[in-house]
Amino acid sequence: MIVFDNVWFSYGDREVLKGISFTANFDERIAVLGESGGGKTTILKLILGLISPDKGKIIIDGVDITQLNEEELIPIRRKFSIVFQEGALFDSLPVKENVAFFMRELLKLPDEEIYRRVRELLRRVGVEDAEELMPEELSGGMHRRVAIARALAVGKTKMFLYDEPTAGLDPINSERIMTLIKDLADKENIGFMIITHVVYVAWQLCNRFIFLKEGQIVFDGNKDELIKSNISAVKDFIKELFFRI
Amino acid sequence: MNAGNQIKKTLADLQDFYLLSINSILKLFKRPLYFDDIIEQMEYAGSASVFIVSLVCLFVGMALSLQLSAELSGLGLKMYTGKIVGIAVIREIGPLVTALVFIGRVGAGQTAEIGSMILGHQIDTLRVYGIDPIKKVVIPRVIASVVMLPCLTIIGDLVCLIGGYYIAVFVSNQSGSFYWSSIIEELTFQNVFSGTIKPFIFGYLISCISCFYGLTTRGGAKGLRTSTTKAVVISIITVIATDFILTRILFYALGFNV
Repeated sequence: MIVFDNVWFSYGDREVLKGISFTANFDERIAVLGESGGGKTTILKLILGLISPDKGKIIIDGVDITQLNEEELIPIRRKFSIVFQEGALFDSLPVKENVAFFMRELLKLPDEEIYRRVRELLRRVGVEDAEELMPEELSGGMHRRVAIARALAVGKTKMFLYDEPTAGLDPINSERIMTLIKDLADKENIGFMIITHVVYVAWQLCNRFIFLKEGQIVFDGNKDELIKSNISAVKDFIKELFFRI
Repeated sequence: MNAGNQIKKTLADLQDFYLLSINSILKLFKRPLYFDDIIEQMEYAGSASVFIVSLVCLFVGMALSLQLSAELSGLGLKMYTGKIVGIAVIREIGPLVTALVFIGRVGAGQTAEIGSMILGHQIDTLRVYGIDPIKKVVIPRVIASVVMLPCLTIIGDLVCLIGGYYIAVFVSNQSGSFYWSSIIEELTFQNVFSGTIKPFIFGYLISCISCFYGLTTRGGAKGLRTSTTKAVVISIITVIATDFILTRILFYALGFNV
């Protein structure tokens, strides 16, 4: 379980999160919505302990992670698989080495086994023909797929975290990524948290919606509550949704 | 940002830089050590820099020899060109010029590369999976710089002296054998030691500064430009200031008369 308790965070003088609190179970499918620069990605980084809050507590499975050092954070971070915006693939490595990277570093498997698993993972995300390509040769959609394959490579985790998984993609590739995210969650039976500013993506994939506005949570609810919400910021944001559905 | 916050930020940055520099030494003795990354960085910092270092040092050696020949011939002391070029290059100009070229080529590259990894969340990805960026990213660059800058300095010294030889012999009409013999005379322990100890320290400082600014890159392309510029400027100032301090210490320790 993830608990945010009155969490404040600022970049220099700019306050990004102003006392946000929420609780999330690992098996939930949550979308964190809001405008760009509104602190959505900051929430993911706080969950992983990549940054520390100025104030407040972040509790993962009963452990307050705000006081932990890098070594102590490792088992907490292993509970999650993350796919950062645009994939965060290592530029200097071909696709198969990107996917193999953490297997080689963490699992210490023999090369033969690593490459067998790499091929299997690439096939699973639908980019089996790209294993020899460099990241710069991949399309945006392929980038995300390879990043998802790499996130799957280190083994089963409790929750997937996706940072803007469809940003910059055309509608067809967005649809493919959404299908992949949903299929993985169904097959692995684990939840996910998606950071996005595209409400349609959130609507298709999630059953809980957290809406951030000026560093505060202004809405936290399910699909019905989202549609019926009278909060003007939320209503403005979901206009696109009414048009698309 | 007001003055108080600026001071606080500067002190925090200094503390972070100090921790990074210390950790890059302490974590050297902890497994794993990424040999492939070290070799890759050594190739980038070393063999790929030989041409540019040689080119710059050749012209510096020629300019130095030309200046000295012109001044000394007026005093009837032209035969000391080799001796003075030798001392200046081995003790001071070789290490310093090579370090400055190294900052521009390798240091700036290290900052830009790491900064780009920060902006692309590659460093965050390493941290998420429990791989220490200091061990994986910083230490290979520090080792490469500490090992390769002294090697480049030796090459730079030699090319500088060859440039000086060309001017002394073919422009100033001096004896080539006398030029080299007067340089060999200056290859004393004190001169060679004071010229070879500096590149190790410069290499360590340049890579620590470059990695630090790379790791603290924020704010997209503009942030990357700022951090790379800062890394280069701070490295140049640090290397020149350290050169003076080291020279003063070495003069005292090795018994040079001032």
